Amino acid sequence: MSAFAFAWRSLRRQPARALLGVLGVASVGALLFDMLLLSNGLVLSMEQVLAGTGFDLRVGRGPGMPGSGWIIPDATNRAGALTALPEVEEAVPIRFGDGAVASGAGGDLAVRVVATTPSRHPAWMLHAGRSIASNGAAEIVINPNLARGEGWEPGDEVSFRAYCTSGNSVTPPVSLRVVGIAEFPFEDEGGLTVGTSLRDLDVACGGNGEDIADQFLVVSAAAAGTAAARSAIEEAQPGFTVAANEEIVGQLQGGLSYFRQISLVLITVTIGFAFLLVTVLLTVSVNQRTGEIAALRALGFSRRRVVADVLSESVLLVGTGCLLALPLGLGLARVLDRILKSIPGIPEPIHFFVYQPRAVAIHFALFALTAVVAAAWPMLMVARLPIAATLRREVVS
Amino acid sequence: MTVVEARGVSRVFPMPAGPVVAVRDVSLRVDAGDYVALCGPSGCGKSTLLHLLGCVDGPTSGTLFFEEHDVATLGDRERSGIRLRRIGFVFQRFFLLPMLSAAENVALPLAEAGVPKPERDARTSELLRYVGLSARADHRPSQLSGGEMQRVAIARALANRPRLLLADEPTGELDQATGEQIAELLGRVNADGTALVIVTHDPAFARRAGRVLTMRDGTIAAEERHR
Ligand SMILES: Nc1ncnc2c1ncn2[C@@H]1O[C@H](COP(=O)(O)OP(=O)(O)O)[C@@H](O)[C@H]1O
Ligand SMILES: [Mg+2]
Repeated sequence: MSAFAFAWRSLRRQPARALLGVLGVASVGALLFDMLLLSNGLVLSMEQVLAGTGFDLRVGRGPGMPGSGWIIPDATNRAGALTALPEVEEAVPIRFGDGAVASGAGGDLAVRVVATTPSRHPAWMLHAGRSIASNGAAEIVINPNLARGEGWEPGDEVSFRAYCTSGNSVTPPVSLRVVGIAEFPFEDEGGLTVGTSLRDLDVACGGNGEDIADQFLVVSAAAAGTAAARSAIEEAQPGFTVAANEEIVGQLQGGLSYFRQISLVLITVTIGFAFLLVTVLLTVSVNQRTGEIAALRALGFSRRRVVADVLSESVLLVGTGCLLALPLGLGLARVLDRILKSIPGIPEPIHFFVYQPRAVAIHFALFALTAVVAAAWPMLMVARLPIAATLRREVVS
Repeated sequence: MTVVEARGVSRVFPMPAGPVVAVRDVSLRVDAGDYVALCGPSGCGKSTLLHLLGCVDGPTSGTLFFEEHDVATLGDRERSGIRLRRIGFVFQRFFLLPMLSAAENVALPLAEAGVPKPERDARTSELLRYVGLSARADHRPSQLSGGEMQRVAIARALANRPRLLLADEPTGELDQATGEQIAELLGRVNADGTALVIVTHDPAFARRAGRVLTMRDGTIAAEERHR
């Protein structure tokens, strides 16, 4: 009988204890797995969303990360100049704002506004219809929430007002035609967003002829690559800050380092619990069986063999528990993610718990270590068990 | 041919209140096919001597030879190997594994010795037949009587065809009639060629042996030969 088969029988001998051990490891494992998903989830999610936009560089004016800097004047021309660089496939100016659309049910609906120029790489993901045709075509793209809520579809006219300075603008509403339904990156869950052209936003703001943007989204030329595009832009536009997606993620990662430290502490505590649980169970189990173990040794079982039995028991206990922990942890992560995502202002595609193969690998590695370390003391007990004295004690007691 | 030989062996246990000499300068030879009974009052060193002969414990002085090998020169693996293949142990408390069936208990030393499954199964049924428990092969120890458990334990001890079978008060937990059956069975084991050393308090059981050694204070105080 192999050490594993033997360990399996030993565990089944005390089903309640084995079940307790497995469930204990499984719950601790679920927490640990969630902690692993959480420690990197936000960063990973951000990375995925950034990569999903199709733009690999972001350009802002002034120091600091693009988007946090100053307003960029003469945006359309500058974007054109960047696009003309051989290292750049396309640069798209983008301006964020707030506004309102007149609801069919009466009253205004607050919307986020994303304004840009027509481009080969749109700043939104089209679901239906088309994107805006030109800068100033009086067209609008609405997000699915708005389309669903208002029953609007391409061809409908929408009355739109922009909030261009602080407070409500006094500018009259403009009529824009819905041309498409699209998803916008970094939308709030359930939030309402519209996309239009820079010119149409300016018109809605009173038509001052301002051609401004908050940042440029850039797709580098495939032949040149991100790094080359980046240096070309920095040279062409001194005073601008260029950031690749990784840098934005890196910035976020730095900001989340406390978060990761807390995760690390909790992971350590969790693993400590698993270790204690398994050690206690195995020690009790070995202590109850010293007579049998001594008898097996007298019958010729080697020290290595009886030690392997204990290790196998640990591996079975911890292995089953940490396998169960994965579905349990994924389920729990989904619930926790939903709770955290209900914090207002969390963009829709951003998740706190993100599945990553690396987390599974770390999970298994940590538990493999736990299985061995937790079995260390009981294994030592078995290895050092004095055969004759134990057999004698069992008879005398 | 000599199976095991003790030459002036002593076993001293260092204790807080002073050393306890459990076995004192004992010399003893067990040849192939011998049947030796160890008798004597409780605490006179019978179990300790049996453990020395069975290579589960080492003497503090003197030399123990198992089939001409000085046991003190052997490592744990070699000693385990000797116990596995050359020696069988039967305990007062049986020490069957409760989660295994009778057959699985008997098969344990076979598997440990690397005997392939078909041979193992054949040998296991042969052994269970030998001890008269073929019908109980799939029973757990908890479903067996004391006498049946001891029979399974004897079958297990015989699994790898040992030269020497050691039994420490094998009838100690059994009633008179059952004890006699076990004594009978062990007599048959000896008759079939296995050297036997038993510890017993039962004079009737001891008389079955060819040699009865009476111990006192760790020494062999008297030797009686039968047959
Ligand atoms: N492991 C041990 N530690 C200390 N003393 C022991 C140990 N084993 C045996 N002894 C002592 O050695 C003596 C002989 O014990 P034992 O061989 O068990 O006697 P018996 O089997 O004849 O009853 C006793 O005094 C006992 O207390
Ligand atoms: Mg004794």
